[in-house]
Amino acid sequence: MTMRTKGTMAACMAALTLGMASAAAAAPCAELAHGADLYRTACAMCHGTRLEGNFETPALTGRFVANWAGAPVSELEAYVHRAMPLMAPGTLSPDDTRAVVAFLLAANDLPHGRTVRVGARTRSACPS
Amino acid sequence: MDTGRTLSRRSVFAGGAALGATAMMAGEHILLPHAASAGDAGDALAPPHRPHLVPMHPRVDQITDIKVCIRPFRAAGPRLDVERIGDKTVFHNYGHGGSGWSLSWGSANLVVGKVAATLNRKVAVIGCGIVGLTAALTAQRAGFDVTIYTRDLLPHTRSVRANGSWTPDSRIALTQTAGPAFADQWEQMARFSWATYRTYLGLPGAPIMFEDNYILSDKPFDDGPARPAPAGTPGRMPRATEDFATYGSRIRDIIPAVEDIPAAENPFAAPHARRHSLMIYNFGAYGHLLLSEFHQAGGRIVIRSFHTPQDLTSLPEKVIINCPGYAARDWWRDDSLVPVRGQTAWLPPHPEAPYGLDYRGAALLSKTDGVMIQAVDLDGLGEMTGVGNSFEHPDPAEAARAIGVFADLFARMPMVGG
Ligand SMILES: Cc1cc2nc3c(=O)[nH]c(=O)nc-3n(C[C@H](O)[C@H](O)[C@H](O)COP(=O)(O)OP(=O)(O)OC[C@H]3O[C@@H](n4cnc5c(N)ncnc54)[C@H](O)[C@@H]3O)c2cc1C
Ligand code: HEC
Repeated sequence: MTMRTKGTMAACMAALTLGMASAAAAAPCAELAHGADLYRTACAMCHGTRLEGNFETPALTGRFVANWAGAPVSELEAYVHRAMPLMAPGTLSPDDTRAVVAFLLAANDLPHGRTVRVGARTRSACPS
Repeated sequence: MDTGRTLSRRSVFAGGAALGATAMMAGEHILLPHAASAGDAGDALAPPHRPHLVPMHPRVDQITDIKVCIRPFRAAGPRLDVERIGDKTVFHNYGHGGSGWSLSWGSANLVVGKVAATLNRKVAVIGCGIVGLTAALTAQRAGFDVTIYTRDLLPHTRSVRANGSWTPDSRIALTQTAGPAFADQWEQMARFSWATYRTYLGLPGAPIMFEDNYILSDKPFDDGPARPAPAGTPGRMPRATEDFATYGSRIRDIIPAVEDIPAAENPFAAPHARRHSLMIYNFGAYGHLLLSEFHQAGGRIVIRSFHTPQDLTSLPEKVIINCPGYAARDWWRDDSLVPVRGQTAWLPPHPEAPYGLDYRGAALLSKTDGVMIQAVDLDGLGEMTGVGNSFEHPDPAEAARAIGVFADLFARMPMVGG
């Protein structure tokens, strides 16, 4: 996580200094922080602390982005809610689901809009 | 550590008359029958069928991999019906529980038979686990032009996290929920699969082979009638071992029978032993062969991940065979799939010891790609072991317990070493 957090922090500073509007496209910082917490406790054991996955479990970077590119974010949320965490599907509340998906998008530098938009890479501007 | 007398492999193979001779081949260890180890004169009268087995010494520090998998169980048996999505006709082929490898060819045969009646020439297959791959090959053999659309190729699928042996009625359905019609369909699938597997025997690299499997017990085998299932109907969720269907007796005529090993011929440190010839699947060689066959026949594979059934409408093919295994729960929103967790630990191959063991709820198979040790039922839960559990994450303690069963067995063995 630390690596990623640092990146986010740097982006945050950049956004602040440039007064960029990109923060508006990202999820609220409290939600992202909550999502990161959830990820650490409910997802990292399988998908890895750096979202790197392993031979059996898909990474939540790279191909994950391609898999969901162009899909409505609500579809990804629905999937995560329905299927994850694998051993207890359906247990994330709607808010938690949104938060963890917001975290996944931000961790992949994707904006948090209605669809998973790959062209429009953005850095989230939240402190860690 | 080996204890007891030593004997060369050659002398055992020579008929056992040289019992007590000193070792001639360093490092060759042979198991002798239980009774023979007592050192009485009867040793010389080696029983004709006495197995001469090289012992194994499985240890936790030899683990090369722990694989966890979810069996896609459906109380009614695999889903094999047909559904329309937009202008596509979707033939389902998923939910084969603990029998997906064993029934794969038979299931493919049923499905492709239905597909053939549509008079289309191009078929899409979703999924490249053992069920999808065999469906694709069967469709090719029926003259179809086949494209597989899948998130993962066979080596990354749940299929290769199985045990890999002939287990055609392992948690395949619940007797009551599936009903008698499924029993007939099961028999058709099992017979067709068995016959197809037989065509893969005797090939270089041994993709499919037979191995002696020993079933050991501390207590006499219980051959009494099975306990009745609990009263009432189970519906979608199994309640007890007895709810699970067992259809094996229907195909007794083609499956090598289990035989009792008399005490005098039992080489194991367990008082009761049985043996049967078990068909096993060597994932590496077999998977490679199937994928090569598919490509050689002009098959195409497209790596793709689907999120909703509507995604299928973007495929060029009108006819689709849907083989996503357990993932159907999420991608086809099929809640009838019940997860049944299972785990195998893999140790380096041990080709000098080509046999299998079943003891105290653990199973061991000696395969070309490794020695597989599985915790089948360490806690006496029977077929309920793992039911409802989708924690697809390695449990090293479970692996250690299963390995311990065999480490302990061999440590107690009246073996002879060289
Ligand atoms: C511990 C254990 C031991 C077992 N032992 C045996 C045994 O000895 N003998 C036996 O016969 N059976 C055994 N089984 C059962 C057997 O492994 C399964 O029944 C079988 O693997 C199911 O195969 P499948 O092809 O249907 O599913 P999978 O192997 O899961 O394949 C599904 C395929 O679909 C693809 N897919 C899924 N969702 C999507 C999507 N949304 N988009 C694109 N592609 C998708 C996947 O990438 C994959 O290629 C065992 C199971 C376990 C867990
Ligand atoms: C027990 C292991 C495990 C845990 C815990 C787990 N996952 Fe997964 N996850 C998987 C597996 C395995 C898959 C592949 C899906 C399949 O084969 O059914 C997957 C797939 C996914 C996917 C789809 C990836 C893609 O490329 O389409 C997402 C998104 C995901 N998981 C998110 C999460 C989130 C968020 C959490 C925590 C709330 C979580 N997972 C917890 C094992 C796990």
